[in-house]
Amino acid sequence: MSETPSTPPPAHAGDSSVEVLEDAAPAPNGAYPRPDSFSGVWPPEVIEEIQEKAALGRYQIRGQATKRRGLPSFDDLVFVPAGLSRMPLEGYREKCDTQVVIGEGNCENPLVLERPIMIAGMSFGALSVHAKRALGMAASRCGISTCTGEGGMHHEERRYSDKLVMQYLPSRYGMNPYDLKKADMIEIGAGQGAKPGTGGVLLGLKMSDEVAEMRDLPEGVDQRSPCRHPDWMGADDLYMKLEEIREVTEYKVPISIKVGAARIGNDVRIAAKAGVDAIVFDGMEGGTAASPTIQLDHAGIPTVAAIAEASEALADMGKKDTMKIIVGGGIRNGADAAKCIALGADVVYLGTAPIIAMGCHKPIYLEDYARLGTSPYECQHCHTGLCPVGITTQLPKLMERLDVDEAADSVTNYLNALTMEIQLFARACGKNRVSDLDPNDLRALTYDVSLMTGVDMVGLGGRTPWWKKF
Amino acid sequence: MANSAPLTIDCAGRATRAINEEIRRAADDGVPEVELLNPQARHNLGVSVLKPIHVVYRGHVGSFTAGLCDGITAEVHGTCGWGVADNLMSGEVVVHGNAATSAAPSIRGGRVVVCGDAGPRSGMILKKGELIVGGNTGYMSGFMMQNGRMIVCGDADTGLGDSMYQGVIFLGGQAKELGSGLEEVDAENGELDEVAALLDRFEIKAPAKFRKLQSDRKLWHFNKHDFAAWKDVL
Ligand SMILES: Cc1cc2nc3c(=O)[nH]c(=O)nc-3n(C[C@H](O)[C@H](O)[C@H](O)COP(=O)(O)O)c2cc1C
Ligand code: SF4
Repeated sequence: MSETPSTPPPAHAGDSSVEVLEDAAPAPNGAYPRPDSFSGVWPPEVIEEIQEKAALGRYQIRGQATKRRGLPSFDDLVFVPAGLSRMPLEGYREKCDTQVVIGEGNCENPLVLERPIMIAGMSFGALSVHAKRALGMAASRCGISTCTGEGGMHHEERRYSDKLVMQYLPSRYGMNPYDLKKADMIEIGAGQGAKPGTGGVLLGLKMSDEVAEMRDLPEGVDQRSPCRHPDWMGADDLYMKLEEIREVTEYKVPISIKVGAARIGNDVRIAAKAGVDAIVFDGMEGGTAASPTIQLDHAGIPTVAAIAEASEALADMGKKDTMKIIVGGGIRNGADAAKCIALGADVVYLGTAPIIAMGCHKPIYLEDYARLGTSPYECQHCHTGLCPVGITTQLPKLMERLDVDEAADSVTNYLNALTMEIQLFARACGKNRVSDLDPNDLRALTYDVSLMTGVDMVGLGGRTPWWKKF
Repeated sequence: MANSAPLTIDCAGRATRAINEEIRRAADDGVPEVELLNPQARHNLGVSVLKPIHVVYRGHVGSFTAGLCDGITAEVHGTCGWGVADNLMSGEVVVHGNAATSAAPSIRGGRVVVCGDAGPRSGMILKKGELIVGGNTGYMSGFMMQNGRMIVCGDADTGLGDSMYQGVIFLGGQAKELGSGLEEVDAENGELDEVAALLDRFEIKAPAKFRKLQSDRKLWHFNKHDFAAWKDVL
């Protein structure tokens, strides 16, 4: 799993201390590793991490998401569907509406999503153009949007995505008024869950001539993007910036702003005051093509905690009905998505899941995973540009490995399954609109998630504990 | 048929959106020049004009003046707020006064001239094109410049040209501190004459000499054990 191939330890033949060791008694059983003998403070992964930094001389960078386990998660919530107190809807007959409209009443052409799902911003550069095309095809079939990500608008992406969101980021790579006018929504980027408070990273192997040209950068350079917009800093400037973008897009399309979930309550309040049509955020589980590992694991807050805080802030601002909440970060299936919606999100924002649907981690080309020092299911080598399955690469030989039509079909199937799963929970809770799911449809399995989200603990739902009566 | 009569718009009491629409319509109709009276330091005046036209701002203007334009020329007779000529694609914007922070952010072509002083972060992530500052410029100017040229006749505050990838900065005065990853090189034959002639065109007094600064490319690649170079920029 290391970033650089490890070098063999130096030979110590003839070293007296080694001779002493040779004379010592052999280790019991002679077999290593023995997990029960690992230190709790210095387990192998910590040792490996320190030694890798010792070799690199800088922080580690990798793709995908935090490896932390045990974060508060959607699994700490369950649905409490209908029984006698409520009636469920018939699964295959009764309609369950999934449409979401962003920017209604605030712009000429609101963004109509046929399902409460968006494909997250993932740059051309991080992804191959083939992967971009496949995502565009799948999203268009499902009536949902894709998003350019950081590197500017690739013409192929515009061609294949019926609804395309353009990111407006601190780096402004490929930014121009013509592409802004071609977008169906503008997403002002001010952070992302995998690396809140820092700028983008794209390592040199992915900086192909085409990527470099679109970004006005030298080919092969290790790109580090600024983390702050060059020309606005705080809440008041955001208002002016918003007006500038509305002027460029002639008040036609909605504008959202994206942050990594951290001080999310205040961020939502500022965004609402500035007048955006939606706030996008992803929690600390959010995916990435390249982020400092230390930041993946130690910055930002979990998605499940962020939604409740954001929903409350938006309600406080009196904008719950007009401004949308778009949430990403570790959303895997329809249960996660439906829980997000029940907690107050309007739309879920998927990055890693559709990438996995199209073949990331697929157990093929095993020898190429091995060359990277990894294997399927543990690969997080998107940052290297050597993706064995041809998704997060710019090398033509690897890109060819992704069959665009097959990838588009797989993503479509996955999105269909996800939509059915979301509807399944809504119907089971007796809702004929997915957006009608609310916190009362949930119970928490753990005290901490109950506290964070305000969702009742299981067993106590909606009633006074029995002992309080006495 | 092209309309050759100049247009005058009195901004007082009118909505920015309506003013900008009128400028864009005039440019579409081939009107050669539009004069804006009473801009009253308003933000976003003249944003996204994509056909050639000459815009004259008679007074102080606010933020993002002439932002995201292509092919226009403009002159501002006053001072500017933040981010003048934001993301200019081509054309020329001349400010006959001072510019607040972030002049010419991320321009992708054309030329922006600030005859007076520019605030901090001028020329940040400049991609192509040129920024000329007749006076001094504030901290972090030319930060992460990607290409193009910046000419500063006066002094620069700290961090000039920090982490720039490509492009050049000509500095007439002193820099309080140069940013990381810069080197000074000799100007090429005729280069300084060309700069002097250009300044002359804008009636900016050229300094006695210029230093030419560019990226030393040491920050182009991550795999460096050169902690001294990286500690401030990561
Ligand atoms: C390959 C890849 C590239 C990404 N590129 C960008 C980007 O350019 N801009 C951005 O704001 N977020 C980017 N992200 C983050 C996503 O937009 C999104 O916030 C995140 O993937 C959501 O979490 P999830 O991956 O768990 O679904 C990227 C994520 C991935 C996986
Ligand atoms: S298979 Fe490709 S996309 Fe998936 S984690 Fe590995 S490098 Fe990244």
